Amino acid sequence: MPSLKDIKTQINSVGSTKKITSAMKMVAASKLRRSQEKAEAARPYSSRLEEMLSSLASSAASGEGIIKLLTGTGNDQNYIVVPVSADRGLCGGFNSSINRETFKLVKSLEGNGKKVQLMPVGKKSRDFFNRVMKDQIIESFVDLNVSSTGYESALNISNKLQELYFEGKFDKCILVFNKFKSAISQEVTQQQLIPLDVSNSEKEEEKDNSSNAIYDYEPDEETILKDLLPKNVSIQIFKVLLESDAGEQGARMAAMDNATRNAGEMIDSLTLKYNRTRQAFITKELIEIISGAESI
Amino acid sequence: MATISFDLVSPENLVFNDEVGTIIVPGKDGDLGILPGHSKVMSSLRPGRVMVYSEDKNLIKSFFVSGGFAEINPEKCIVLAESVVEVNSLEKTSIEKEIQELENKDGKESEEQLSVAKAKLEAINVNYYDKI
Repeated sequence: MPSLKDIKTQINSVGSTKKITSAMKMVAASKLRRSQEKAEAARPYSSRLEEMLSSLASSAASGEGIIKLLTGTGNDQNYIVVPVSADRGLCGGFNSSINRETFKLVKSLEGNGKKVQLMPVGKKSRDFFNRVMKDQIIESFVDLNVSSTGYESALNISNKLQELYFEGKFDKCILVFNKFKSAISQEVTQQQLIPLDVSNSEKEEEKDNSSNAIYDYEPDEETILKDLLPKNVSIQIFKVLLESDAGEQGARMAAMDNATRNAGEMIDSLTLKYNRTRQAFITKELIEIISGAESI
Repeated sequence: MATISFDLVSPENLVFNDEVGTIIVPGKDGDLGILPGHSKVMSSLRPGRVMVYSEDKNLIKSFFVSGGFAEINPEKCIVLAESVVEVNSLEKTSIEKEIQELENKDGKESEEQLSVAKAKLEAINVNYYDKI
């Protein structure tokens, strides 16, 4: 049987863990609010950009150069997969679900005879893929800190991707990230970034065809499209980074909430055990005294 | 007199949103003055000043944008800019320093940055369009 002192120490250590987790929960909650605001503030830009793009997309004939971001290279052989994870742990299944999903995706693409390269974003996915498929990583981005650096961080990734794309290093780029559904739930999502997937925006276009009257284009449609497409890649990445950031905070909040609750339960059960043991000791001592007195 | 609603949006936030009288944006092929009832135009922008005027032609605000797009229809004008700063908050000395640093570098990227920085400097120095 553990001594009283042992149990007491255990209660104390669980108590301090509880303090830490509840503090982390609070921090995550306030960060979550900020991240959500950021994500919301970025929404008007990306939605406007999408609208513009969808009204222009139809005018793009298959072409060379930048238009390739929309039309694709015509091949389907080389893939680049970008898992977006957090830099830090202690946020439940947030990172591991990204890594698992990406791993599955890579394996299934390779099963179909495609060549896959990786460009992890965030320490947790970089470390994971450094262990399992080191030779397929061509670049990694860590310590992005989207909520403070903002758009710049997305630009770096987007520039690198486009550079590789125009060098002909890959034909398709797929992002794997946690979509922010609510504060407590995230959904692992795959999004094809390059070539641009216009199937979604096409649907919208049909919806508001009436408002889609003819615009004058200055200088001309193709020039605007050439400006618009690279920007769209950056903004999509930016959006994903912000969502993932908000998701991370949400996941951490939920995980820490759970941990705090578990610690509370553990303290309760340990306290019960402590009291029982204490009582058992007292009873034992009483019995010893009484039986000693009787024998005299 | 009529007004036109004007949105200035950067990737990070909505910078300006109000009913205004006139807007001047730096279109790629030349500046565009936008009044209420303007025909539908979509234009890409060069680095330069976006000027916002009230109904009685007083300058409300002037922003520097490093490029972007403008979507104009009779009721609304939307400018999507990559980076937005108020011209008043630009500092001449720091921009001059930036230009000097960039001039010593080569490469396509710094060339672009240089042209943006030069446009910034110009935006501070010039004062046409201050009164229309």
